[in-house]
Parts: sequence; structure tokens; C-alpha cells
Amino acid sequence: MTDDQYRRDYAHHLIEQVNKGHMTRRQLLVRASVFGLSATAAGSLLAACGGSSSSSSSPAASGSGQPAPKAGGTLRVSCPDSLTALDPVTMYDVGGAVMVQQVCEYLSWVENDMTLRPVLAESWSSDTSAKVWTFKLRQGVTFNEGSPFGADDVVKTFERLVDPNSGSAALSVLGGILSPGGTQKVDDATVAFHLDKPVADFPVLVSSSNYNAVILPRNYGGKFPQTPVGTGAFMLKQYTPKQGAMFTKNPNYWQKDKGFPYLDSVEFKFAADDAAAVLQLQAGAVDMQCQTPFQGSQALFKDPKLNIAEVPGTGFREVAMRVDKDPFTDKRVRQAVAYCLDRPALLQALFGGRGTIGNDTVFSSVFPTSPKLPQRAQDYTKAKQLLSDAGHPNGLTITLTTENYLEVPQYATLIKAQCAPAGIKVNVDLIPYAQYYSGKGANQVWLQVPMGITDWAPRPTPVQFVNGMLLSTSVWNSSHFADPPYDKLAAQYSATVDEASRLAVATKMATIENDETPLLAAFWITQLSARAKNLYDVGGINIYLDLSKAYLA
Amino acid sequence: MTRLIIRRLLLMVPTLILVSLLIFALSQILPGDLGRTILGPYATPAQVTALNHKLGADQPIAQRYLSWAGHFITGNWGESPVLQQRVFPMVMQAFSNSLLLAALALVVIIPLAILLGVVAGLRKDGLLDRSITISTLSLTVIPEFVSGVILLVIFAVTLKWLPVTALAPPGSNIFTRLYYLILPAIPLMFIELGYIARMARVGTVEVLARPYIRTAVLKGLPRRRVIFGHVLRNAMVPTVTVIGGQIGWLVGGLVVVETLFGYPGLGKLLVDAATSHDVLILEAGVLIVAVIYMLSNLTADVIVALLDPRVRQRG
Repeated sequence: MTDDQYRRDYAHHLIEQVNKGHMTRRQLLVRASVFGLSATAAGSLLAACGGSSSSSSSPAASGSGQPAPKAGGTLRVSCPDSLTALDPVTMYDVGGAVMVQQVCEYLSWVENDMTLRPVLAESWSSDTSAKVWTFKLRQGVTFNEGSPFGADDVVKTFERLVDPNSGSAALSVLGGILSPGGTQKVDDATVAFHLDKPVADFPVLVSSSNYNAVILPRNYGGKFPQTPVGTGAFMLKQYTPKQGAMFTKNPNYWQKDKGFPYLDSVEFKFAADDAAAVLQLQAGAVDMQCQTPFQGSQALFKDPKLNIAEVPGTGFREVAMRVDKDPFTDKRVRQAVAYCLDRPALLQALFGGRGTIGNDTVFSSVFPTSPKLPQRAQDYTKAKQLLSDAGHPNGLTITLTTENYLEVPQYATLIKAQCAPAGIKVNVDLIPYAQYYSGKGANQVWLQVPMGITDWAPRPTPVQFVNGMLLSTSVWNSSHFADPPYDKLAAQYSATVDEASRLAVATKMATIENDETPLLAAFWITQLSARAKNLYDVGGINIYLDLSKAYLA
Repeated sequence: MTRLIIRRLLLMVPTLILVSLLIFALSQILPGDLGRTILGPYATPAQVTALNHKLGADQPIAQRYLSWAGHFITGNWGESPVLQQRVFPMVMQAFSNSLLLAALALVVIIPLAILLGVVAGLRKDGLLDRSITISTLSLTVIPEFVSGVILLVIFAVTLKWLPVTALAPPGSNIFTRLYYLILPAIPLMFIELGYIARMARVGTVEVLARPYIRTAVLKGLPRRRVIFGHVLRNAMVPTVTVIGGQIGWLVGGLVVVETLFGYPGLGKLLVDAATSHDVLILEAGVLIVAVIYMLSNLTADVIVALLDPRVRQRG
């Protein structure tokens, strides 16, 4: 079977899934984009599904009273400074990523609804096993210092990212999937990735969601602030650590015929502190903030000058219970704790309701294709019964260790209050953030405490959560959960391309997680970004920022 | 007098060596390490170990200290492995920012505090004394993050009279820079004013009770000459010592104000360097603060000696 035939078959398969009711239209769009079907192809797929048409993927609310794009102006962005040197290969925080993204571009960009938009790659496809992925590159693109962009740059970029000696932060995503030598040039406009194992989500892993994966020129040698070379809409004029950075329009941007970018320049002002950022937004000293935490920013929500962009996120607070430590060795005790939580109330109290209810599995309903299990809700009768069955008819006392960070201490206090009626006395041990994550390797405090709350940043696919915290080999397995059948299912899930089988495997995994309850995932936090009302068409949120189409009107 | 100054300057050398040793030792017990800071939370332990080895962060502490000290003394302050920026210009830039803010605050605080303190002392237990004491003390107890936020909300966000950040645009002249620093200087004035004014008041009250003041009044000296010739000169001794001790904090300890007002000064730079295991920046910054501490204390002692001949003779 040729790749083209295979893609046609996959397209038909997606249509069938929607028509049978196994997938929603939005899920179809996401899967089609990951699989490398173009937006027009996906559109015709939707049409083939029949029924009413929907436009769920269009990010801009065009034609809804939004003023026409206007060229010019300087956008002032508030973000924290990069914690380490500004370098696309090693960066791992918001500040570094959003600055690099103005200068450099990815093969594809993850939109807020999790579809992939082709950028430097025009299309991609895999062989039938999802082990070899071929990317067709855009032609006629040049780097801002004049050299043409081609397959050599892509090969060099990914070889650098999987080199264990480069300090690459992308190894946490690509490690065990793509090895040195696995990225090969087919011709000047085509690159093939030969993976170590089949990965159905691979295009996501080389998109902007892997924020280190910006395409750098083949001869990149570090020192990004001095040699800020990329294909992006803006060029770095000045970067002063701890103060700010200035970017100006790239006059030779490959989308200049469409008028992009509209902005003349972008200024980043580093805010070391959320309170300072809130005041700067209120005073109009900055036009937007990349990531607005809910706690402490409440004043912004009713500011008439500002909009708050909200994007359902896949970040959450993991309440891990060590399955190898009493009293949590009995899963009924873990389940009892889970039945004590009033999830909607927690979400309301901690985030003003801005989030999605969780069901104690990392397969959040925020992800495009997610299993549907009965939703767990507060049930004290059940909780007491479980405790009594587990040999604790008079209740028990547990200790919850918590980092003093963001709203986590409040969450711990709420858990304590909600557990009390079931007879579970929770002692909250509040320790500083640095102490919670201190220690070496597996001896880190947060991986050793019997019960703890850990903040997890958003991930583009559930696989990354599974690999990070739930396999017997996971390095951040704070619940010490180890279940060979689950490990096997995880490998199967990652390699499965067929949507129905993939969902079936995911459902089995989610059922195990929910039943075993090594961790509580009570809610998934919606990402917020405060933006001036006259600012339009900003792409991305949090650690992703695409200003190539943004304008001030 | 000259001998006193020379002896104190020479004493600075062993003090600075001790301080630098202490910082090196203390930075070892901070949680985490250099490689982990640079590579981030997702790097494998093997990657971290390899980078620490490459940067020499795994060598014995004595060896690292000697190598650092050798370079530092010869003026080679090195490059920060975390920020990949040269240490000298970074630290000096932050230092000059801090110095400007401290100078602005002190220029207002010192005359105002002394004036209020002396006036209160001369009118001891009177209405003026009570109101000065109560108002300066209540300003002193407001933490700077509280007064800072309140001032920002009133003057920057609501009235828009003053900028919300303390850093003037690049290339601004000194007057624009000072204009941007008005708001952040006020919380510092609040804190220092009550403290220094109280010292001046106590000094004045004590001196007024001395027999030589009674003699001066009784021999018919005009009140102005008694105050300026006898009271002020003697009452200033404790005040000057206190001011000398506060300058080091104003230069190197303003973490909260620098953070709130987005001002890239020495205090925030040092905190960041400590949390990211950036020993090169930490050492350079702390040594500068230490020098400022010692120099301002020495200056205070010299002024005290000039005010009080007894101190001069003892020195």
C-alpha cells in the first residue's frame, strides 16, 4: 500500500468514526491535522460526514465586529525573563520560549484547539506502522540573515536536539523516540524521521508543543542573543537580561505578501513578580501578559480595558498517594480519599470555576480523543464503606506534604476539610517550593513523601503524562505505581494509529488509573492570558506566543 | 585620624576574604545544583552530571575557590554559566542602578529625618513631638511591599502621575531616570524616616539634659547658638552612626522594591544568583555590598570623629 492510498484510507476511517458517533467533529480535525491532512482536506472530510457544518477550528472570530487589521505599532508584552541564558536548545521556561518564538519558527504550530497548522513544513505523512514520518518542507523561505531554509537545517536542528551532550531540553520529549542519526534528508525539500518505535502522535512532538524544536540554521553554534537567526516574523534587536528585549519586524518574512507581520516591533518587559505584572497591565504600561495566574490576578478580570483569553489547559495538580506505603497500599483507602473530593467546588474555590473537572486519570477530557468513564463525585457513604472494608472503620490519619506554591496550599486545606466528614484526618505539611523539589534523582522529596501535591505544566498529549509519572520506569512516579499490564497498554497506545483501537486502549488505561487511583486529578486548569481590548489575533497562550498575525487597532 | 582611616581600610582586606569564603561555602548547601539550573527540571540526572563536570562544578570546593579568587583579583570576573553574560558589566550595571535609587532616597531622608527628629527633641512631649513621633513611626512599620503596592495603585494606576515601573527607557538622561525612581524611593523613605528621626530625637533630648547646655543657656548665649553650636553637633553622633549602617541595606537589600517596581538592581540580582547557583555573580555582588557597608560605616565613624574631638583623640 502506498502512502497516498494509506492516507485516503485513514481519511475514510476518520469519516466513519464521526458518522458512527465515536468521534466529534473537533476530534476529527485534530486527528486529521496530526496525521498531516491539510485543512482543506479536513474540511472536505467534515463535509463528507454530512450534517450541519461547524467552524470550531477557526481561532479568530472574524466578522464578529473585529476591526480590520492595521499595520504598525509596538506591542508591549509582559513575561518573566528566561531563567537561564536565552538559547532555543536548552531553554525550558515561558520567558525563553516566547522570545525565541518571535525569531524562529517550527515545522508546525499547535493551535489552542490542539490542531496542527503547517508552518515550515507544508505536509507530513507516515508509513503504515507510524515508524517513519516524512515531512515536505516549505520552499522559498529564507533565514533573516539571508541564507535559504532547507532540509539540511531541519536535519541539523533535530540531530542537535537529540544529542545527549547538547544540553537539549527536548530530550525529555524525544528521548527513546528519535535517536541520533534518525533524522535524514531525502532531498532539499523533504526530511524523513526514522523512529525507534512507532509513535502515532509524532507530528505533535516536533511541532511548537515541543518548544525547543524551532528550526535553527545548520551552522547554529550557540550564543543565540548574539546570533539570533531564524525564519520568523521578527528579529531580535536587543536583549538585556533582567530588563527586557526588543524585536523589530523582519522585512523579508516569507508571509510578507499577506501583510504579516502587522506589528512594527514587539517589546518584552520582564516582570519578576505577578503583582508587578498586574499593576503594569492595569496602568496600561504593557498590552498583554503571556500567562496570567488566576490567584492574585483577580483585579484584572473586571478591568474594562482588558480581555482575558481562556484556553482549556492540560496542566493539573497531581495528588499522588504512594501505593507502596501504608495506609495507601490498599487501593480502597486511595479510592476513599477520591470520593471525598467535591470537584466542582474545588475548581470554583481555587480558580473561580476556570477549568475542567478531572476523573483521576491523565486522559483528561481536554485532550481531543479521550475515554469516557463515569465521573467520580463526592460520596461520603461510599468513602466510609471503602475505609471500613479496608480495615479503618474508625477513620485514619494521613499526612499530605505540600509545596508552598501558587494555590497549592489552599488546595491542601480544602482536601483536609473535605476529607474530615469521612473520618480521614489530614495533616498538612507545608514546605517551601525549593525544599519540595530538592534532593537527587529518585530521592527527591516530592518522589518520597507518602502523599503530596505536585504542579504539572500542560502537555500536548496524555502520553507525556503517562511516560512521566505512571509507568514502572517513570522517573517522576511519585505514587510508585507499577502495573505491568498498564505498562504494556501504554506501549500499545503510543503505537496505535487507528482511532477506534487507540480510544479502546486509552479507555482500558484510564479505567485502570481510575480504579487503582494512584493519583487524584480532580481538575484541569484553564490557561489565562490578560490582553488589551485593542489587541487582536494573538496566537497561542502561556508558553506559546505567535504574534505574526497580531495587530493593535 | 589618618591612621584610623588607613587601619580601617587595611582591615577591609581580611574581612572581604572571609566574606568571599563564606559565600562560597554557603552556596554549597543551597538545594539543587548548577547543572540542574541550566538544563531545567526535565533533564536526566546523567545530563546534569555531565554538564556539572564540563563546567567544573564537581571539582573540590577549595580548588574552585582558589581558581575563582585568582581570576577575581586580577580583574577577570568571568562569564556567568547560567546567563552566558559577562559578570563585570552585569554586576556593575545593577550596582549603578541600586546606587542611584539609594542616593535619591538618602538625599531626601537625611535632612528631613534630622529636621523632624531635632524639632521633636526640642519640643519633647509637646504636641509637635507627639505628632512627629507617631506619624514617622507608623510609616516605618508599613512593610515596603504594602506601601509600594498602595502607592502604585494610587499614583501610577489610578492617577497616572508617575510611571508604574522604575526603569526609564534606555538612553534617558539623569532627570528622567530620577523621575522614574520617585515612586520606588518613597517606601524606602517611609522605612528609614522614622528610624533616623527617632535617633535624632533621642540624641537631642539627651544632649539637652547635659550640664554644659544649661551652662550655655545660663551664660546668656542666644538660643540659636545653643542649638546649632552645642545641641546639634553633639546630638548628631548616634544619628550618623545609624545612617552609616543603613546605606548597605539601601544599596544591596532592596529585593522587594526592585521586584515590585521592575527595577534591575543589586538586591534582585543577588537573590536570583543565589537561587540559580550562579556563584560568580553572587560573589561579585556580595563583595560590592560588603565594600559599601564598610565604607559607609567608616565614613560615619570619620564624621563622628570630626563632630566629637574625644573620639578623634582616642583614634
